[in-house]
Amino acid sequence: MPVVELAAVTKAYQDKVAVNQLSFRIEPGQMFGLLGPNGSGKTSSIRMMIGITAPDSGSITLFDQPFTRSSLTRVGYLPEERGLYKKMKVLDQLIFMGSLRGLSTDEAQKRAIAWAKKLDIAHSILKKTEELSKGMQQKIQFISALIHEPELIIMDEPFSGLDPVNATLLQDTLLEQKAQGKTILFSTHRMDQVEKLCDSIALIHQGNLVLSGGVREIKSRYKRDRVIVEFSGDDSFLRSPEIAQAKNYSGHAEIQLKENGDAQKLLVEAVSKATIYRFELMEPSLEEIFIQTVGGKVDA
Amino acid sequence: MRNILLIAQREYKEQVRGRTFLITTILLPAVFAGVFYLSFLSGKHSGTDKHIAIACSDPALAAEIRTEILSDTDAHSTVDLFTAEMPGMLMDSDRSKLVSEVDSKAIDGFFWVDVPATGPIQATYEAQTAGDFVTSERLQSALNHALLRGRLVEHGISAAAADSLLKTVKVDTRQIKNGKEVTSNAVSSFYSAYIMALLLTMTTMIYGLNVGRSVIQEKTSRIFEVMLATVKAGDMLTGKLIGIGAVGLTQILIWIAAGAIFAGSALGAQYLTGNLQIHISLLQIVLFAVYFLLGYTLNSALFAGLGATLETEQELQQYSPLAALPVWLSFSMILLISTNPNSIWVVAASLFPPCTPIVMFLRMGSQMPPLWQIGASIALMLLAIWAVLWFSTRLYRIGILMYGKRATLPEMMRWLRYS
Repeated sequence: MPVVELAAVTKAYQDKVAVNQLSFRIEPGQMFGLLGPNGSGKTSSIRMMIGITAPDSGSITLFDQPFTRSSLTRVGYLPEERGLYKKMKVLDQLIFMGSLRGLSTDEAQKRAIAWAKKLDIAHSILKKTEELSKGMQQKIQFISALIHEPELIIMDEPFSGLDPVNATLLQDTLLEQKAQGKTILFSTHRMDQVEKLCDSIALIHQGNLVLSGGVREIKSRYKRDRVIVEFSGDDSFLRSPEIAQAKNYSGHAEIQLKENGDAQKLLVEAVSKATIYRFELMEPSLEEIFIQTVGGKVDA
Repeated sequence: MRNILLIAQREYKEQVRGRTFLITTILLPAVFAGVFYLSFLSGKHSGTDKHIAIACSDPALAAEIRTEILSDTDAHSTVDLFTAEMPGMLMDSDRSKLVSEVDSKAIDGFFWVDVPATGPIQATYEAQTAGDFVTSERLQSALNHALLRGRLVEHGISAAAADSLLKTVKVDTRQIKNGKEVTSNAVSSFYSAYIMALLLTMTTMIYGLNVGRSVIQEKTSRIFEVMLATVKAGDMLTGKLIGIGAVGLTQILIWIAAGAIFAGSALGAQYLTGNLQIHISLLQIVLFAVYFLLGYTLNSALFAGLGATLETEQELQQYSPLAALPVWLSFSMILLISTNPNSIWVVAASLFPPCTPIVMFLRMGSQMPPLWQIGASIALMLLAIWAVLWFSTRLYRIGILMYGKRATLPEMMRWLRYS
């Protein structure tokens, strides 16, 4: 029983097709990555999932039901375009957002304070939002999306603009939510983040689905033809007939094997010529897979 | 419904706690009261404290005119009798002398009355202030009065009998409301309605623009995307209109309460008499609230739709004359409204929804419009609100998610079609 299912969804604005025949499903408890470069149709897809806009064709189900607004109380959404009432106090703002999602004032206040402590912004809870830094405001948005304990969490570029400490804090919080059984849709153009966090992905480009499935399963479809070698001594093994291309950064070499290049043969040759500290046959990154698939013409 | 009320409550609290609310609540009526009191005072004191010289070839007539002018004690005039070089005759040198006195500000002006042996009397008032119509009127009245008195005496009527005949009578204007004569005079009634019309204008305009501004602020702060993931665009707009409208009503209630307290105080009793007497009926108070709500909803629906198509408050400012247009139109008809409140043009203007609140209140200053016209005006306003809301909600739904540039007319037409 999928939490979200899109079936042949299409959305066009004037003459531009933002989403074209898009289909994928997100299973309960999954951390799902919706990937693609800027302008690929991620935000348009999310907006349709939560009823901000309607698809021109195709169908969307939420919690195994055709979309209704009442199911939105079970969804937490952090949009890419962050928005808060600047003149409102942080606590009032969180209570307001919690109340809109069906919480009583007391319950919303209790949860807001608990979350503020957890994300280390308790000292700012009585300040006006406009007095806070951008990072702090992002944490408030984050709390606002989670305060009603939604079953489905949708995060559009959640870590953009955050320093590494805060990005890690929010990342850990998302992993906690996942451990509690929440389903998370995580949209980003930063594919390196997704590799670490997501179970499954849908990769879209110019509104079309390019790849979808489990991260491990997708990666296993692609050959391991990249080698990282850390060494000292003679570097002549970098001219081996197994190698298509090699870059040597003073003892750290990044090697692309030929179509039928043999990594084992290369290892033997390298060991015979230099002292090898590390020899790793790398799997392709999602970004590389994406570039291979769409032909490299992306603006991410 | 719960979400609409939550949004309305948020809007209400934010606006009422803001500095603008405090300032407009105190300043707006203070400015109005000040302006009206000043205009009342300036009306009362216009043409007063003048130092005038009377140059007349007939010394007896000159003395009569002087007496007439001085009899108006409110005018506080100083009147000199000019002695001509040649008694019984006015010459150019006399005029030159008086002109130089005016020029040196020794006098404010002179009244030149040439009484020829035959032919009509020539009279001119020459002063530095060309627009002093009040003094000019006063001198004309004094001259005619003096001449008439002189002619009556010439015809053998005694001076005392002539004075008695010429005694002027002050006409008081009283208004008949619902078959009963009310104690207030017409001027005070008109002023009361005029003030109410102005307050209505200001509040519906200010709060209508406030809605537009609030939409733009939310658009620029990108709050819409979060909100729309929870509530419908229509509910957001409804909540906003209710919240900001409630702020306007609160302000009006504060003014009514403050006005009632002032009117009931000893200070109020001292000042609010005669032409400054306040005469507002309960029906007018009820209609004030009704027309405020209707006028506000019409304006705010218009500006909510408009705000959704714009990017900055400066852009919205450029459209504010749109709200001012009916105000200009209504006040340009004020003379016709006050003298002939039931003329076809006035009735038409009062039934034209953008002008209804103002024109209706101005009409009430002269005469209470028939109930069917009040009912029709309310029905037409509701119809206009429905039509404006139809367009605005469609523009609003799409416009709030469009960032980056002001929408063009073809884009707006497309949005209407999408909705």
